[in-house]
Amino acid sequence: MVTLEEISKNYYLGSTVVNAVSDISITVNDGEFMALVGPSGSGKSTLLNIIGCIEKPTSGRITLDGTDVTDVPTDRLADIRARRIGYIFQTFNLLPVLTVSENVEYPLHLQGVDKAERRRRVEKVLHEVGLERFSTHKPAELSGGQRQRVAIARALVGSPSMILADEPTANLDHKTGMDILTKMKELNQRLGITFIFSTHDQKIMSIADRIVELRDGRLSNN
Amino acid sequence: MFLRLALRNVFRNRVRSLITLAAIAFGSTSLIIAGGFIEDTFIQLRESYIHSFLGHLQIYKKGFYEKGGARPFDYMMTDHEEITREIYSVEGVRQVTPRLEFSGLLSTGETTISFIGQGVDPEGERQISSFVQLDKGENLASGDKYHVILGKGLAHGIMADVGDPVILVANTMGGSINGLDVVVKGIFFTSSKAYDDRALRVPIKTAQRLLRTDEIQSLVVLLDDTAKTDLVKERLERIFEERGHDLEIIPWYEMADFYNKTVDLYKRQFFVLKLIIGIIVVLSIFNTMNMSVLERIGEVGTIMAIGTRRSGVVRLFLLEGIILGFFGGILGLVGGYVLASIISYIGIPMPPPPGATIYWTAAIRIVPGVFAFSFALALVTALFSSVYPAYKACRLEIAEALRHNV
Repeated sequence: MVTLEEISKNYYLGSTVVNAVSDISITVNDGEFMALVGPSGSGKSTLLNIIGCIEKPTSGRITLDGTDVTDVPTDRLADIRARRIGYIFQTFNLLPVLTVSENVEYPLHLQGVDKAERRRRVEKVLHEVGLERFSTHKPAELSGGQRQRVAIARALVGSPSMILADEPTANLDHKTGMDILTKMKELNQRLGITFIFSTHDQKIMSIADRIVELRDGRLSNN
Repeated sequence: MFLRLALRNVFRNRVRSLITLAAIAFGSTSLIIAGGFIEDTFIQLRESYIHSFLGHLQIYKKGFYEKGGARPFDYMMTDHEEITREIYSVEGVRQVTPRLEFSGLLSTGETTISFIGQGVDPEGERQISSFVQLDKGENLASGDKYHVILGKGLAHGIMADVGDPVILVANTMGGSINGLDVVVKGIFFTSSKAYDDRALRVPIKTAQRLLRTDEIQSLVVLLDDTAKTDLVKERLERIFEERGHDLEIIPWYEMADFYNKTVDLYKRQFFVLKLIIGIIVVLSIFNTMNMSVLERIGEVGTIMAIGTRRSGVVRLFLLEGIILGFFGGILGLVGGYVLASIISYIGIPMPPPPGATIYWTAAIRIVPGVFAFSFALALVTALFSSVYPAYKACRLEIAEALRHNV
């Protein structure tokens, strides 16, 4: 469970203070499939980054499964991200020099999982996303939809309690995007993993259990 | 995983990596060539001194080396045959030969010039003075009694040639003056022009007759390997102490002042060269690594977002630097070895060093120490030049870095 209490995040653009998100309080329960929606610049990505321990809020408090992570040191936050959170990015963000299976294996390496177990789990998640035949391919040899499936496999392989997806379908055509979301929804239902994803695609919002709308950095609908 | 990732990152931009590797390899090879050339110069200069007149060790009555210049006859050795036997008992000793040094005047009847003379055992000296080369005539031989060989400059100074009669005049040990008529048997030269300008050699029996003595001044010891100098010196010191001989042993390096100064000068020059090469390597790798960070900001953001610690990012970039240094260093070693072998096969014609008269051919020595140093320099400079890019990469703000992927 993730709890945000009066979270605000300010940026400085020169001497100007920009309020990316302001005074946001929200609780995301385990197993939810939640969409953060809103126009560009509404603060979706910032909020997702705060939930994912990538950015620290300027003020407010964030707890992850009951643990306050607001002021946790950088390395501890890295460990939390490695063990408890999976990420799916709009641009897939696969490491181009590694093969599909190596990309998927990377988070397990950070967790210190032994080699045999890493291999077993990589095979399992690649099978899950239907890419076992592409395990030795480099990302550049895959289509956009396949790359995003690799990203899902990478997010999934470490058995996180929560997967965050920032505009996961923005670089995909409608059908591929829907396939990806369907896959995410299926994993959510079958494995009970919490999914929080940002999107401004109204059509794919219909698949979400819960929609949180942001406007100018504030909640406009929860 | 980090090693695999680092290795692939290094070679993802092959042209740039090859240029960087070439810069590192060039630096390593340059060091090997320069170091091998300098080492060869040191060795050739050292051996020419040792084999021209110094030997590896010279043994005198205690006090001679410091005070013998003013009163040489106060430090004569009487029991040198027994001492010679004891010296031969030490492993590594190849030759021991007595010498009697003196000074006096050399005259042709028309011209007179001062000289520094050495009474030598012609047979014993043959190995020790292998770098003494005959310009004209013949070298001294056992059985010669009234013969002399003159240094080239000395012969030129008194206008004497092979076969000419000359007169040696010197103070005897008793303080009177004695003269001997001798014939010039040969004219020699060594690596030291200053020596050739003043030196002559006569059989030691002739020198003893001139000085009216049966004694000698020094024993010159030649070893089978210059590296054993200190070891043999220590053993001989122990033997002399046990047998109660009041002797001192002077190693070649305490006598070879010109050699020591040359080594000192070259070493300083080599240090500057190492510094320059080190800076070139640092700058070339620094540029590559810095470019690599700039190009991979998004990737660094990604690996940090999925849980890589800052220390992991630092490790990744340092590893990339080490890989560049390692492969560049290996290439440098191979290049250095091949180039050194080719140059040594052809040889580098060299002019005589300052104060010398002999042209010589330099080579590039394969010196394991220089190879190890050049490889270590490649690694260390590569690692050093990766530190700032690694620091820069690990300080990136993850959210900001991720925006570079869009």
